[in-house]
Amino acid sequence: MARAPGEREDLEVVLARERTNMAWTRTAIAFAATGAAILKNHLVAGLVVLALGVVTWGMRLAFPPTIDDQSRPRRLLLVTITVSAVGIVALVVVFTAHSAGFR
Amino acid sequence: MNAADPSEDPGDGALPAGESEPDARYTFANERTFLAWTRTSLAFIVAGLGIVQLLPPFPGVPWGRHLLGVPLIAVGVVIAIASYGQWVRSQLALRRGEPLPRSVLPIILTITITVMAAISAVVLLLSAIGRS
Repeated sequence: MARAPGEREDLEVVLARERTNMAWTRTAIAFAATGAAILKNHLVAGLVVLALGVVTWGMRLAFPPTIDDQSRPRRLLLVTITVSAVGIVALVVVFTAHSAGFR
Repeated sequence: MNAADPSEDPGDGALPAGESEPDARYTFANERTFLAWTRTSLAFIVAGLGIVQLLPPFPGVPWGRHLLGVPLIAVGVVIAIASYGQWVRSQLALRRGEPLPRSVLPIILTITITVMAAISAVVLLLSAIGRS
């Protein structure tokens, strides 16, 4: 059945939004995996990163991607800052574990 | 990017003259690309952690695991920051109807993987020599 041009465009936007939603979910899972890796040597830091995964997933539910989302730059900046913080925590964990290994 | 310049603002407030909201599909695609780079960044961090925490020490190369793991984590942080910059530049280009800016991220990725493969080979060789 042929679609009107407007309908087709709407469908593509809906599907694009769906793919973006799934990308947020995959990112939340990646956060959780990182938390699990950190958890092995550092319980508190690992739990914090695991919680960040839940927060990322919750952020997707609380602020689903929309076309004219004015908070998008702030949300993405928050994700960037969070990943950078996770990296710094990982470096601290790596060097802490290194010191422990020589005891 | 000058944060005080409203024309550089990728998403807040009214759009300056000469800019218009791009096709929603492009905005979503740009966001997904940012998220994909974020996951790449997290993968680098996990890989670095895994190398230091899970691999047994290399015989004769006691610093080998850190030599491999720490740069991976550091590159993960760099990719996270660079991906946000790339998202901002791409969104501005979409709004202005300009060609998309060239991304430095694939270059960072290629160089990192090449250098890390070379370092891994050296560490393994030194380890083999140390064992024999």
